[in-house]
Amino acid sequence: MTLLRQTHLLLFKDLLIELRRRDSLLTMFFFGTLLLFVFHFAFDLPPDKIAELAPALLWLAFLFTGTLGLAQLFLAERDNHCLGALLLSPLDRGALFLAKTAFNFILMFLVELVVIPLFWILFNLSAWNLLPQLFLVTLLGTVGFCVLGTITAAITLRARARELLLPLVLFPLMIPVILATIRCMESILRTGDMVEAMPWLRLLIGFDVIFLTIGVLIFDSVIES
Amino acid sequence: MRLTVKQLAKAYGYLWALRHLDLELASGEFIALLGPNGAGKTTLLKLLAGLATPTAGTIELDGRSLAANGAALRGQIGLLAPADHLYDQLTVTENLRFFSSLYGKAYHESGLAAGLEEVGLGERAKEAVGNLSAGMKCRLSIAKWRLLDPGLLLLDEPYGVLDGSGVDLLEAFLRQQCAKGHIVIMASHHVSRAVSLCSRALVLHQGRLSFNEAKQSPWPSFDRAFGDFLPRGGL
Repeated sequence: MTLLRQTHLLLFKDLLIELRRRDSLLTMFFFGTLLLFVFHFAFDLPPDKIAELAPALLWLAFLFTGTLGLAQLFLAERDNHCLGALLLSPLDRGALFLAKTAFNFILMFLVELVVIPLFWILFNLSAWNLLPQLFLVTLLGTVGFCVLGTITAAITLRARARELLLPLVLFPLMIPVILATIRCMESILRTGDMVEAMPWLRLLIGFDVIFLTIGVLIFDSVIES
Repeated sequence: MRLTVKQLAKAYGYLWALRHLDLELASGEFIALLGPNGAGKTTLLKLLAGLATPTAGTIELDGRSLAANGAALRGQIGLLAPADHLYDQLTVTENLRFFSSLYGKAYHESGLAAGLEEVGLGERAKEAVGNLSAGMKCRLSIAKWRLLDPGLLLLDEPYGVLDGSGVDLLEAFLRQQCAKGHIVIMASHHVSRAVSLCSRALVLHQGRLSFNEAKQSPWPSFDRAFGDFLPRGGL
């Protein structure tokens, strides 16, 4: 069976389980929304600082929300030692990495679909025409987050204090992704186009491609150790 | 199918769970893997299944190293752990479909339904596995491995959760596997049942193979080797 067919099979299984459990998506959605309201009441963003601060606040919300989802990424596999069943099978471990990354990406995407417009409304942002560009950058940042997050979640899977360890390992590794995403969004909000954001955008795409490839190649050793 | 184990050893930190184990098993053999708690039975099964990495030694299936050809050989190895390795949120049929696809086995819905009927789960086909009792999950595991038909089947304490008809079902399945020329290795504390089924008994003690003989009747050497681990009654 090809890598893509195995990935599709595992992703379908994860989505079906999530559809029945609704644990991860609902938790992430409510937590993300709650954070936005906390930010809304805590910060009074002056109009000249919006371009600078809005992307950082938005990504702070995504980072915390996404970490919540990552902590539950292998939940279905922990019940009944199902990870053992997957490792016992002839499955390509790279397919497991791709499926888990895609699953996490879909959850984050659904949360972002609600959180970004809500952020615009709560902070009274007027640049609605820039939403497609900002959304594109957010998706590229989300890919980077999910790729690194899946590797980190697998590394910390058997750790005793895994919920604590996961952000401690993940956040420093995420610095290039967060930096590039926030700088991209800030440039778009400030200038109204993507010209100034292009170097950061290239860095983001490069990061995504490199770590996606590395993930497929090293996941075998990561998950078995 | 031929299983060859050479100088296999596994240490957890400073503790040796298994030491210098040599084994040669031929097609159609049924192995009763016996020994007291902590003897290394589960560790040996995990190593043979590829779920743990040996500290030293090699495992070969038909002359091919498990360490070097893991992905290719894993499809030939099954581990029946009662009530384990099944997704609680998927239905009984969905679990069978998922694992069949994962192992690249073609299946028909009628075949799945017939397989479930045979293990007594025909009426529970659409129920979530999480709602099943441990015994029913074990029956589903039997249906799963019947469908996947591995050349080397490992079993870890399969009797604990099964009722009488479940035990008959399991033993009939294991006999079928051996008749097909597959190798079955069963770790169990139900010594009399395991010995009645087996063609060879292995006894592990403190991580070492202390007994390895083909079955005889009567079997005084086995009685001597295993006698130390039998309950003596009283306090």
